[in-house]
Amino acid sequence: MKKLSLLGLGAGLLAALSFTAEPAVAESTLDIVKKRGHLRCQIGTPAPGFYNLKSDGTWVGSDVSVCRAVAAAIFGDPNKVEFQSVTSTVRFTALANGESDMLSRTATWTLFRDTQLGLNFTATNFYDGQGFMVPKDSGIKSSLELKGATVCVLTGTTTELNLTDYSRTNNLDIQPVVFQDTNVRNETYLKGGCDAITNDKSGLASNKAGFPDPGAHTILPETISKEPLAPAVRKGDGQWYDIVRWTVFALIAAEEMGITQANVDDMAKNPPSPEVARMLGVEGELHKGLGLDKSWAHWIVKSVGNYGEIYGKYMGDKSPDGIGIARAGSQNDLWTRGGLMYAPPFR
Amino acid sequence: MSDAPTTSDGLRVFKPKPSLPPPPATTGVIGWMRFNLFDGIGSSITTVIGLLLLGFLAISFYEWAFVRGVWEAASRQECRLSPTEFGTCWAGVEFWFTRFIYGRYPDAEIWRLDLMAIVFIAWMAPLWAPKVTAKVMVGLSAILVFPFMAGYFFLGGDRNWFMAIMVAVSMTWFAGTMIHVAACLLTGKGLGHWIITLSGFSSRDDRTHKYPLLMAAVVAFGIVYFVIQSWQLPIVGTNHWGGLFLTLVISGIGIASALPAGIVLALGRRSEMPVIRVMCVTFIELFRSVPLITILFMATTMFPLFLPEGVVFNKLASAIVAVCLFSAAYMAETVRGGLQAIPKGQYEAAEAMGLGYWQSMGLIIMPQALKLMIPNIVGSFIGLFKDTTLVSIIGLFDLLGMISAISQDPQWIGLHHEPLFTAALIYFIGCLAMSKYSQHLERKLGAGDRR
Repeated sequence: MKKLSLLGLGAGLLAALSFTAEPAVAESTLDIVKKRGHLRCQIGTPAPGFYNLKSDGTWVGSDVSVCRAVAAAIFGDPNKVEFQSVTSTVRFTALANGESDMLSRTATWTLFRDTQLGLNFTATNFYDGQGFMVPKDSGIKSSLELKGATVCVLTGTTTELNLTDYSRTNNLDIQPVVFQDTNVRNETYLKGGCDAITNDKSGLASNKAGFPDPGAHTILPETISKEPLAPAVRKGDGQWYDIVRWTVFALIAAEEMGITQANVDDMAKNPPSPEVARMLGVEGELHKGLGLDKSWAHWIVKSVGNYGEIYGKYMGDKSPDGIGIARAGSQNDLWTRGGLMYAPPFR
Repeated sequence: MSDAPTTSDGLRVFKPKPSLPPPPATTGVIGWMRFNLFDGIGSSITTVIGLLLLGFLAISFYEWAFVRGVWEAASRQECRLSPTEFGTCWAGVEFWFTRFIYGRYPDAEIWRLDLMAIVFIAWMAPLWAPKVTAKVMVGLSAILVFPFMAGYFFLGGDRNWFMAIMVAVSMTWFAGTMIHVAACLLTGKGLGHWIITLSGFSSRDDRTHKYPLLMAAVVAFGIVYFVIQSWQLPIVGTNHWGGLFLTLVISGIGIASALPAGIVLALGRRSEMPVIRVMCVTFIELFRSVPLITILFMATTMFPLFLPEGVVFNKLASAIVAVCLFSAAYMAETVRGGLQAIPKGQYEAAEAMGLGYWQSMGLIIMPQALKLMIPNIVGSFIGLFKDTTLVSIIGLFDLLGMISAISQDPQWIGLHHEPLFTAALIYFIGCLAMSKYSQHLERKLGAGDRR
């Protein structure tokens, strides 16, 4: 009887769940998003720094901030986002079938993906690269010393393929030990089940921070792959592509121009340079091409801060949410300081 | 010579000595241990080794869970630096516990879920209470009427005309049920009796009794409908649903729909009408030969590709439908097994009585078959309850999904032993409860010793 009683619960719930249907005419993504009232932004299952679930149920992280920035650019409100947490196996399908408006998750920009999956990568917001981590007492100083070593690796991403390539190129005869789950892989490594872990360096850094004795492990200097991580949109809507792309650029440009979450209001009142004035919508008509309000960039910085602030909060070591990856001098620093973060001019 | 008593005529009377107690080594704890644990050398060795292993495990567990347990810390790092070093970080589980249970449901709205849990228990509890009449009605209404209220409380937002009516019906019904139960417990007479008495219809013809009842129902519905008309709950989208709450919603709907759907499919498979039989066989074989995870992926990512552009199907709804279809196929085969266990004589006897198909099924076959099937049915339910963890793979944050989220939170990074242990405990309690309930049901129905 008790089991039976749940039957109706099913019927009732299914009746209550709304199947949102939208007209099938070819509307622009921006119009659809505006009409719906919120952005559907795809992220991954929790990964430190990029997208994390907090214990109060909110999403935080650097990729999450990009979603919020796009929402802020459109609505002036960074909370008008529905975060869709999707596993990496179906991430591109979920974008292609229209479930998500955009994807902002650690997806590596590659030629194949950019051309054959029906999506376009917009602008790199994090330069990652694959590396190795070994226990300090193994004495290994370079990944070229990993001859015949067993290496723990996660399956289903480019990581596994890069490892095989690297092993073949350098005649290392590396034995991969493949895992589905980060925690299990780390446990195996810590118990001596493999000589090294390979992963994107950002991932290695956050894993290391979670080890019982982080000081006993070292990340080897070599970077064996290029992993430019960029938000992506569906192919075929140029305006939407521009919106996401220039949202990322706005974050980078804001840092370059010294606009922060704290001073953006003052800057807008009293622009120190014509470029700041153009970007914040005080002068010029730059917003027209994007189909957004003239304050779009102002709203972005006001809501999530500039690129440097986001990095400091989630990737750096300044806040409890950060995963402690140094930025100075890395590829993720601004081009003015020797990094690769570069935004085209706002004019 | 002997001091044995004699009768008056000198005959000796036989009076046995009191029997000796059994040798001390064969009774009580010692005896039990001798016969069960130390019965010979081999058995003694096994026992000692077993006890040592058990003791070792118990001590290790005690040390892990309690001696090294840290209950107050703000991050995993603090747990590590605790006086016991590398402490077992229960603080993290504590910190995240609300999320394990309610997922991403907003804190301010959690009372809605609690309230619905209480309402459901209150609605079902009278089934076990003495003196309550019309139990079937109470039970059935909890199945068919409660879900509308629950669905609205879970989701919130606007109500269309259908939901507006159904939510009001559901609330009225609940209030009526509660008054009815109170009346039964206090006076021994149900709500219906009192309405008829108070309206002065008790002296009239029985056939007129439905009028005051109908009247009272309509008036009560009207009042509730107008009182709640302008009342609205904030909307909580299904992407906020998670944790144990989501697990219960998915498995609850799956379990509830599995049995009726399974019965229909099993009867269809044994039907003599070829079209129905082929359809049922195809459905059952199709869904049984594909892994649940494949069905889930199909439902959530492939299915939208076939829909017209812009039409988005709710992910949770598709997952629930997938789980229901899958469990119905399995249940069908369980039910078919039960039907085959009923001897042919029963079918023939039913026919001989002049009963039609549905009557013989409903009155003769199914009651016997379902009793036999209880262990298998509950086995499937328990399996389904645990299978719902697969939805975490399609990105729904059920209990297991929330558990894996904590290990990625920079403050608690890598923390997964303790949360997994907690989840195991929650699943164990849920499954044990189901299993115990089925054993109780078997005893009550005497399914085991019937033949």
